[in-house]
Amino acid sequence: MGRFIIRRLIWTVFIVLLVSVLTFLIFFVLPSGDPALRFAGKQPTAELIAQARANLGLDKSLPEQYWLFLKHLVTGDEYGWPGLGYSFHTRDAVLPELINRARVTGSIIIGGAALWMLIGVPVGVISALKRRTIWDRGLMGVCLFFVSAPVFWLALLSLLIFWKKLHWLPGTGYVAFAESPGQWFAHLILPWCVLALLYAAIYARIVRANMIDVVSEDYIRTAYAKGLSPRRVVMHHELKPALAPVVALFATDLGALVGGTIVTETVFNMQGLGNWLLIAANNNDLPVTMAVTIVVAAAVSLLTLVADVLLAAIDPRVRLQ
Amino acid sequence: MASRRTHLALLGTVSLVGVLGIAACGGSDDSSSTNTGSDTTATDGGGGDVLAASDTGFSTGSPKAGGTYRIATPDLGFTGGFDPSAEYLGWAWGLQQQLLNRGLVGYRHIGGTAGTEPMPDLAESIPEPTEDGTVWTFKIKKGVKFSPPLNREVTTKDIVYAFERMATPSVGAQYPNYFTMIKGFKEMSDGKAKTISGIATPDDQTIVFTLTKATPDFPYRLAMPASAPIPPEVGKCHTKAGEYGRYQLGTGPYMIKGADKMNISSCDAQKPIPGFNPTDGITFVRNPNYDAATDSKEQREALPDVIDISVNTNEKDVFDKVQAGELEEAAGLSVPPEVARKYVGDDTLKDRFRSNPEDSTNYVTMNLAVAPFDDIHVRKALNYAVDKQAMQRAWGGKLYGDLTGHVIPPVLLDGDTSIDPYATENSAGDVEKAKEEMKQSAYDTNKDGICDAPQCKGIVYLNRNYGAYAKITPILTQNAAAIGLGLDVKELPTGPAYETLQTVKNQVPIATNARWGKDYPDATTFAVLFDGRNILPTGNTNYSLVGMTPEQAKKLGIAYPKTPIPSVDADIDKCNDTAGEDRIQCWKDFDTKLMTEVVPWVPYMNALHTNLLGPAVTKWEYDQDAGESALAHVAVDPSLQK
Amino acid sequence: MGFIVLLVLVALFAGPLASLIGHGPNELFQNDMLDDFGLPKGPNGDFLFGADASGRDVLVRMIYGTRVSLKVGLFATLVAVGIGVVLGLLAGYLGGIVDTILSRIAEIILSLPILLFAIGIVTACGASKEGCARGYVKPGVTLVVLISAFFTWPVMYRIVRGVVLSLREREFVDAARSVGAGPFTIMFREILPNLISPVIVYASLMVPQAILFEAYLSFLGLGVPDSIPSWGRMISDGSAIYDVAWWLIVFPGIILLLTVLAFNLLGDGLRDALDPKSDR
Repeated sequence: MGRFIIRRLIWTVFIVLLVSVLTFLIFFVLPSGDPALRFAGKQPTAELIAQARANLGLDKSLPEQYWLFLKHLVTGDEYGWPGLGYSFHTRDAVLPELINRARVTGSIIIGGAALWMLIGVPVGVISALKRRTIWDRGLMGVCLFFVSAPVFWLALLSLLIFWKKLHWLPGTGYVAFAESPGQWFAHLILPWCVLALLYAAIYARIVRANMIDVVSEDYIRTAYAKGLSPRRVVMHHELKPALAPVVALFATDLGALVGGTIVTETVFNMQGLGNWLLIAANNNDLPVTMAVTIVVAAAVSLLTLVADVLLAAIDPRVRLQ
Repeated sequence: MASRRTHLALLGTVSLVGVLGIAACGGSDDSSSTNTGSDTTATDGGGGDVLAASDTGFSTGSPKAGGTYRIATPDLGFTGGFDPSAEYLGWAWGLQQQLLNRGLVGYRHIGGTAGTEPMPDLAESIPEPTEDGTVWTFKIKKGVKFSPPLNREVTTKDIVYAFERMATPSVGAQYPNYFTMIKGFKEMSDGKAKTISGIATPDDQTIVFTLTKATPDFPYRLAMPASAPIPPEVGKCHTKAGEYGRYQLGTGPYMIKGADKMNISSCDAQKPIPGFNPTDGITFVRNPNYDAATDSKEQREALPDVIDISVNTNEKDVFDKVQAGELEEAAGLSVPPEVARKYVGDDTLKDRFRSNPEDSTNYVTMNLAVAPFDDIHVRKALNYAVDKQAMQRAWGGKLYGDLTGHVIPPVLLDGDTSIDPYATENSAGDVEKAKEEMKQSAYDTNKDGICDAPQCKGIVYLNRNYGAYAKITPILTQNAAAIGLGLDVKELPTGPAYETLQTVKNQVPIATNARWGKDYPDATTFAVLFDGRNILPTGNTNYSLVGMTPEQAKKLGIAYPKTPIPSVDADIDKCNDTAGEDRIQCWKDFDTKLMTEVVPWVPYMNALHTNLLGPAVTKWEYDQDAGESALAHVAVDPSLQK
Repeated sequence: MGFIVLLVLVALFAGPLASLIGHGPNELFQNDMLDDFGLPKGPNGDFLFGADASGRDVLVRMIYGTRVSLKVGLFATLVAVGIGVVLGLLAGYLGGIVDTILSRIAEIILSLPILLFAIGIVTACGASKEGCARGYVKPGVTLVVLISAFFTWPVMYRIVRGVVLSLREREFVDAARSVGAGPFTIMFREILPNLISPVIVYASLMVPQAILFEAYLSFLGLGVPDSIPSWGRMISDGSAIYDVAWWLIVFPGIILLLTVLAFNLLGDGLRDALDPKSDR
């Protein structure tokens, strides 16, 4: 187990490095991507551009720039550790803003995830237990609907109905928890629901399929033959193995969502990581792009690792290799 | 974001002779001459310290001092980190001139021509120059102090330091070219001198500028924020480009929130002022050291206690909040047409929708060096083909702009709107006239009025990718297709779009992503766009490459077209050398020549700046100089705020 | 299924359908369908689904939008399946170093943040006048297809590899080997036919994913250009004024939902029919 985790951690570092190199390369392939031009202002004489380029460190060779980036990342810079530099767009330090925005994205993901697990798992279990009944068909039909509905569309529609027409909820935007817990909650309800509906539908389908697979396994038949109560069989022998892969998937999805709430953030005007990346990409803002990509890649890799470990812990049939 | 960048268009190194005379001439424009900016009668319940609203302004109830005036903007968008030496964003200038830093010269910050007349601010008066217009001696007012923690009186040495910053390359000053005629300025910026020999301070109250040539518009230049005093004890710690923005201490009625807590005992002890965060916003609070007695109400009423500017990227959300009274105003955003429609149709709300001339031009620019636009007939044909009315509608209709048929905004030409060589019915375009023109082009090989040479297809057309700009795209594409011009659309965000267009090597054939606004009320600020001597490899704003010579083309590494490119350099020089009425006429002739013999653009609209005032706003003015809200003259009633 | 056939027909005959209605997909009806403020007018007898912010017929653009969605869904899946099947076969059958390298690559791609890289790539391709890859790829349908396929082939690869691993120990493979068949003959003649049903099942589920992916990219303004109608972009453009022009998001949204739903149903149905393990 220990060796496995260490190996996977090394792999994670490798992935993060690789992602950062790729991001770096994509950025420099951008043909109009000369942030120095913007820093040189509206009167960009050749000297001013050269100077801006030097200030931004863009006058050095690509490998050298990348090396400096890594060095700052590891050793920190004037804005703290890890050193992520300052935005080419706002000239503000990246790190504090990254933390701010991670809070926003975190709020969306954690609330949404709690909600989708609370909805998705019971719906899947009920469907599986009541297989082929009207309940099953009805619930699965609803799930299929939400699996097929584009998130941004549901989001816009929910805003149109609950904000613009019914005036039940406040508008878009994010209010910090520290500022007003009530407002924080009110502003997050719609994003949570929209996100949760999609994932709850996916999870319900998976839980149901897993349950059905498990039910047909020999040991379940043995359990019933031994005279265990159906309730006990369901709780201990069916649910646990059926949920194991869901727990793993949950960890992976959480990781993926760190960078995957771009659309939700855009529609609901939440200043999260995804929204930041979009702005950064539009402004050739290398430090911000790098910072967000690295955080996202690290989140994905680490949570995948967590998923694997969890899977092994829950399901003894899974061997870590 | 839509228009700010245009507010301060960059000026090349051109001479600006006789501008002072022109500003006065502009007064005969009916719509803006009867300005009440100098009218100091107070409104009835205003407590005697509030001016009546000007013609272009707004006032209701009894405006009073106090409260927090809340503004949201999608992006502070500062181009120079809000450092007065390096900032070149019109809106940021407004903040600095009206709230933070008092310069020798200022404006009234109201609408109309009275808003663009220079007035003494820190100076006791605007002097007449001596020695053939080359020596300017200013006396500054006594008792003007820097905000805490500095608390000391301003001296002319602080102004000298501001100029020295502009002559220090590392600061990244944006318009030192306005001051290179000061004796010794160039020597310092070239590193040959430690100080500027042409600026002397015989005492703490006096400053003498010695110029190498007469510069009648020098007071205008001194109104620009980079020349306002900067305390060396703080400024000298921050000489990287844009750095001082977060440490600035000024003399205006406001200071950045938390400035007073800054530890200025040493450079290392200084930390960025917490009230300004480039990503979240900026908050201004009253400067306890500001003495209104040293200022004039005409220039600054400074009514709210706090001015709070926050960043909110969701336009819809911003305007919902303005309507609901959760915000007083939006900045950097044009009022969405659906909101305007609602306000204009409601008598109780009508006055809270404001629409004022921006003195700018929206246009389609064509590149004279690239086929098929190297043929004047193609350019003329497109002028006939474009449906300007549709384009106006894309921006939101008549309240968002006045249709135009020429380059220079009418207000800079004495209100003349008669220049319109390609007039069509309802300005909706005329395909038949366009075809007649196209027939004369070599690119129409079979003379049927449809461009049919290979060069007519796949013409790259650059535009921005959002908002009203994006709505222009299908219109121009359809209009051009009617005469056989096949446009290959390329949409980019604002910044990259500008960078693409301003890099000559890209040879963008046609674009609608740029707009242009005046720097100050003289047509010369538009003429620079067509000055062949201004063509730069990057950051170029002569997008059409008017006046480019074969030698320049070779240097820039681009092909020179078969048809020679016309030049208007001589016409520009001629107009710059005339003054008074003749000057206006000269610019009119210049504009006519541009539109008939050069045809670099399809100018289609003079934009109007729209503002929406929240229910708590009790007084508001439009700053004609900046083309934005005049925060020096706003008031808010906190009891109406939500 | 019937709905999908209908969509295909609509896509094929978009031109005639549009001329039946009498409006082109990029034709502007500025005077009729926009008011003085440039705001679009809603559904009426002539414009059944109303007009968009440029005064274009929403219904006609929706009809043309079918093409983009189906093209992306079909081609992105085909490319991803093609790559996934071939590499999965190679890795599963040959094993060893080939398997290790390919599986690592697949793992890396699967751990890349898709939308994030898509944004980077599209911005990079969109920034230059020429597009990217020496001008062969411009922002638009092709680019969306390539990006979608690039990020989804590893899914197919893993499935195929897994199936091949279990198949290669089976008797028929041994039999083929014993009569002297080469590895490629075995892979493509003996094993490939046995892959058809799992591949079809998963491919059918990749189609709606690709369609949604295009919609997401277009919604973020990174998909196809404005002159090519796309449902995602239509909704995106409408999102600026959805409170005064609900038809801009409702109609394209419904068609997008129905299309994805139809393909999901098709996929589920195929799985039930072809996958013996599934039981529902």
